[in-house]
Amino acid sequence: MKTPRDLLLAQHRAAEPRLEALRREVVQHCREERQVAVRGMNFLSLLWRELILPSRHLWAAVATAWIVILLVNLSLRDPVPSGPVKVYAPAMMSFQEQQTLLNALLTDRSSPADIDRPKSFTPRPSGERFAVKTA
Amino acid sequence: MPDVADPEQLPVQQARAGDPAAWDALFRRYQLPLYVYVFELTRNEQTSLDLVQETFIAAVKNIGGLRVDAKFGGWLFGIAHQKCVQRWRKKGGWEILLDEIPESPDEPENRPDDLLIRREQEAEFMHQLNQLPLSHRSVLLLYFVEDFSLEEIARITGTPAGTVKSRLHYAKKALRTLLEAKNENAP
Repeated sequence: MKTPRDLLLAQHRAAEPRLEALRREVVQHCREERQVAVRGMNFLSLLWRELILPSRHLWAAVATAWIVILLVNLSLRDPVPSGPVKVYAPAMMSFQEQQTLLNALLTDRSSPADIDRPKSFTPRPSGERFAVKTA
Repeated sequence: MPDVADPEQLPVQQARAGDPAAWDALFRRYQLPLYVYVFELTRNEQTSLDLVQETFIAAVKNIGGLRVDAKFGGWLFGIAHQKCVQRWRKKGGWEILLDEIPESPDEPENRPDDLLIRREQEAEFMHQLNQLPLSHRSVLLLYFVEDFSLEEIARITGTPAGTVKSRLHYAKKALRTLLEAKNENAP
């Protein structure tokens, strides 16, 4: 007399060699992945052991100094203007106009408008240019 | 022959940590029951082997999703069941697992071992098992092979516990009727 479980397992026992092979394959894959992960961990632990751990006080001091510098920098930073663009006062505008006039007088220009006006230039043939010069 | 799962002895915690030896032990424990389950649903040897392999790979990849170590067996069978459903869905025939049957009357719970099969009944038992609708067969196999509870079977198959109970009731009744009829006819 068999239980249904015993009977079902016995019916398929012939598949066991293939299942064994399949299991080994999956476990091997699992092992390889683990080795890769361990290698990565080894590199990290090597870095930790060789670079950080021997001078950990120094690293801690450097990290603290950077944090302090960062905090000081943040606290001293000017507040960012958040309002609309500044509008100059009328007095400031008239002062600027006076300055422009004065500049024009000093540089011997007839009017301040000359300063801004672009020079007109009409291209002419070179022979004509020569005639104008000799005239 | 491996006994039905004793979850306390399974090295699930070590497997979580990626220990290949632990995975080897877990797969060794479940490879044949899992194959039996998948084969009896798909009725194809190569497909069953492929699905078992896919289940193992998915288990290694997704072990983080297992909340309770003691539920490893049910979790693994759940993955295998999903793989079967995916395979049927590709072929457009997975609706056969979704048939609905009426609620079963309450009956006292009995153990899978209560049904004992004589040597001369073995072939007939296997034949009758394969005659059952796929949804009933799935539930019955989980019950026979791993002695899963109704709640575990419901979780594995993604069906309500009431439906599982009905399926189990009708599947067992069908098998019992068959075996009793054979006994009466026996000289």
